[in-house]
Amino acid sequence: MKDPCSSISRLLERYFDRETTADEGILVQEHLRQCTTCQAQLKSMEELRTTLRTPVDEAVKEETFAWVWQKIEREIQAREKPSWRESIRAWFGLSFPFRRRVWIPAVAAALLIIAIGFPLFFKETPSQTGLSIVKYVESHTNNVMVFESERENVAVIWLFEGTEGESPT
Amino acid sequence: MEKRACFIIVAFVWVLALLFVSTALGQVQTRLRIIEASNVGSSIDPALRDVHDQLGSLFNFTSYRLLRDESLSLIPNRPSEINAHQGVSLEITLMQQQKKEAEYQIRILRQGSEILNTKVRLSPGRTVLIGGPKHGQGSIILAVSARF
Repeated sequence: MKDPCSSISRLLERYFDRETTADEGILVQEHLRQCTTCQAQLKSMEELRTTLRTPVDEAVKEETFAWVWQKIEREIQAREKPSWRESIRAWFGLSFPFRRRVWIPAVAAALLIIAIGFPLFFKETPSQTGLSIVKYVESHTNNVMVFESERENVAVIWLFEGTEGESPT
Repeated sequence: MEKRACFIIVAFVWVLALLFVSTALGQVQTRLRIIEASNVGSSIDPALRDVHDQLGSLFNFTSYRLLRDESLSLIPNRPSEINAHQGVSLEITLMQQQKKEAEYQIRILRQGSEILNTKVRLSPGRTVLIGGPKHGQGSIILAVSARF
């Protein structure tokens, strides 16, 4: 017959580390009730853990670990630095390509602007009924003549600097 | 997050639109032609074909030559100075623009001294001719036209 201690001892370490299943735990506990050898083995494990844990706990209490956190933060920053495109995308909260509900109104608005603005900038609108009107004219140095031709629809301002032969007809 | 992005983009586009339209409305395209008129020869610059009849019926000169053709985008109350020819310069200022008219102040300077100061109102496509300053054996004629 197989020695029960040899089969339990494999479970005992896992039981000590609380890694056994519920059934395995019940099996170990039942065995421990009647086996002093395994009880002693379990006790020695507990003593060993206590012996090791005490100085480690004391050392941990004295250590603040600030440098560890600093190092971790540096690593996070170094790894997580996004590209400018990702930054812009993140800032706008959009995935690329832009959602339709954003760019369709934007394009429509841009076309509207072009449609309104282009003629204002570039359209020449000659008026058949328009006029050229001289509101006011002065010269402190020369004689000036103003002539408004209805036939030619143009106003002429002539500054006399030369002889009369150069003046308008 | 997406709502914020929509709002920012739409707001940005409309701000651009307002700026663009307000700028376009405030500007007046103005054509300035500097013409040399004389009685030396009898040639007419082909570039002056559109005002050839006007020049012929208004003046006694036999020759007309285009010296400069400038297209200016004038903004109200911002003078624009153009060196016309040989010490003669021109300062043109858009004083105001209404729906069908633009009002200009035009000053002509010779060697920095004002020789003419005038205010004219032009409808779109109309021209005012300012002539007289001596140039060689002839005179300079400035043709100012509004285009808006």
